[in-house]
Amino acid sequence: MSAKKPKITIKNLSKYFDDLVVLDDISFDIYDGEFLCVVGPTGCGKTTFCNVVTRLLPSTKGSVTVGAEAIDFKKHNVSFIFQEPSCLPWRTVWDNVKIGLEIKGYPEPEIRERVQNVLEMTGLTPFKDFFPNQISAGMKQRVAIARAFVTEPDMLLMDEPFGQLDTSTRFSIENSLVRLWEKTKQTVIFVTHNLEEAVYLSERILVLTQKPTKIKSEVGVQHLLHPRDIADPEFVRIRRQVTDLVRWW
Amino acid sequence: MNDKQKEQVKTVLYNILSLIVVAVLWTLFSAWQQSPFFPPPADIWKAFVGLATQGDIEGISLARHIWASLIRIFAGFAAACALGIPLGLAMGLWPRMYNRTRAVLEPIRFIPPIAWIPMAIVLLVGFSRYAFLIWLGAFFPIFITTLLSVTRVNPVHVNVAKVFGASRSYIIRKIVIPSVLPDIATGMRVGLGIAWMCIVAAEMIGGEMIGVGRLILKYAELIRMGEIIVGMLVIGIIGFLMNEIFIVVEKRVFRWRSEVSID
Ligand SMILES: Nc1ncnc2c1ncn2[C@@H]1O[C@H](COP(=O)(O)OP(=O)(O)OP(=O)(O)O)[C@@H](O)[C@H]1O
Ligand SMILES: [Mg+2]
Repeated sequence: MSAKKPKITIKNLSKYFDDLVVLDDISFDIYDGEFLCVVGPTGCGKTTFCNVVTRLLPSTKGSVTVGAEAIDFKKHNVSFIFQEPSCLPWRTVWDNVKIGLEIKGYPEPEIRERVQNVLEMTGLTPFKDFFPNQISAGMKQRVAIARAFVTEPDMLLMDEPFGQLDTSTRFSIENSLVRLWEKTKQTVIFVTHNLEEAVYLSERILVLTQKPTKIKSEVGVQHLLHPRDIADPEFVRIRRQVTDLVRWW
Repeated sequence: MNDKQKEQVKTVLYNILSLIVVAVLWTLFSAWQQSPFFPPPADIWKAFVGLATQGDIEGISLARHIWASLIRIFAGFAAACALGIPLGLAMGLWPRMYNRTRAVLEPIRFIPPIAWIPMAIVLLVGFSRYAFLIWLGAFFPIFITTLLSVTRVNPVHVNVAKVFGASRSYIIRKIVIPSVLPDIATGMRVGLGIAWMCIVAAEMIGGEMIGVGRLILKYAELIRMGEIIVGMLVIGIIGFLMNEIFIVVEKRVFRWRSEVSID
């Protein structure tokens, strides 16, 4: 990346749940157009981090700013893929996917075209008229992914989005994600505990500690070109480096 | 015929069988008792035919009694929905409203409609007495289920809309309302059932000599068990039918819901 311009600035961010310190004085920048992976042990506060960054949860201390201001969903085009199932059960697959465009007031023909494309990409076209209770968990996850991609956000948060998918679907969606990101250069925060996935996708990996959670280390991956080869010696080296960092969880 | 259809036929047959068993037991019991208080099914049937064709002692037919009761029920029930659903939604969305008036609302909930009879006689006249007593029965189930269902809306569903920049009004219309509708429907079904159960109490004080509840009271004074039992059965059967129709409509409307069965 050339001129690195911070997109999201996180300063002295702390989050307590009563006495439980979950995020402990975290500061760092997320650059404009960066693909950032966050890895950390289970329960360390990755989901909490995403929620606090988007201000779905208030922080206890510190600040999160986008540009110079607080995040505002009406102004900033954000998509968030939640870790837990988030399909709206009363809407069909099609209507679930289009909700973001509907809220943002896109004209109907454009909604139709975009939804069609994203359903094609996620392999959901045959299921567009199904209700969530009629499709599998992996398909529901894909609905959430499609719903997040279709609005072409400039900030995309993904909280362990591919956990439910089989390897081949996962590869195909990972590749779509990378292609999409290369094309639109949105800022991505991607939470995972699959280290290979982190090295495969991201430009920078943030390794978190156990609670009270701090940043243990940062690993740069931007010198690996996409599409990445998981057998490439440099890929293997970075994956081993990250694996060593998390060995002491 | 597939397994599901077979199972349905079986269900129907078993229901018919249980009806027959009860009828047989009743026949034996009344034959054993030989008392006018326990008329055999044949006499109950005669009472039914009499009420349906010639009407009661005042010549009012059974159909007119039923119709009069149904109108009262629907008036009270409609009033309960019209008040209970918006109030439940409002108090669910602004829980402070509920928390700060809880001490007024909750005790009223536990006063049975029958206990309101003297108050209703003093305060109201005519049709409003019926409507009020039935309203009392239906209002709280509808209000409380609506209120609780709002507090149980899945926060992730709300967040999905929030993150896309949805307004508060969008979230209420497109997330909260669809989430709570099935619960409201259940509350309405329960409310309708309770409303119907209040019909006798309501018709004790309405003043008019028409209505299924009134029919029972009339024949209670004459100690004529046949007609009384007909009135009881009519109430039971109509309640059953209303409930079944409601369930069918619910299933149709909320077909997106997954069905849970605990076998
Ligand atoms: N609303 C809450 N109230 C109290 N404690 C909470 C709340 N939400 C999360 N926590 C606690 O905060 C910690 C971090 O939770 P979080 O869900 O952020 O973990 P995570 O890193 O996403 O874990 P996983 O990898 O399993 O998804 C946990 O110890 C959890 O118990
Ligand atoms: Mg999590």
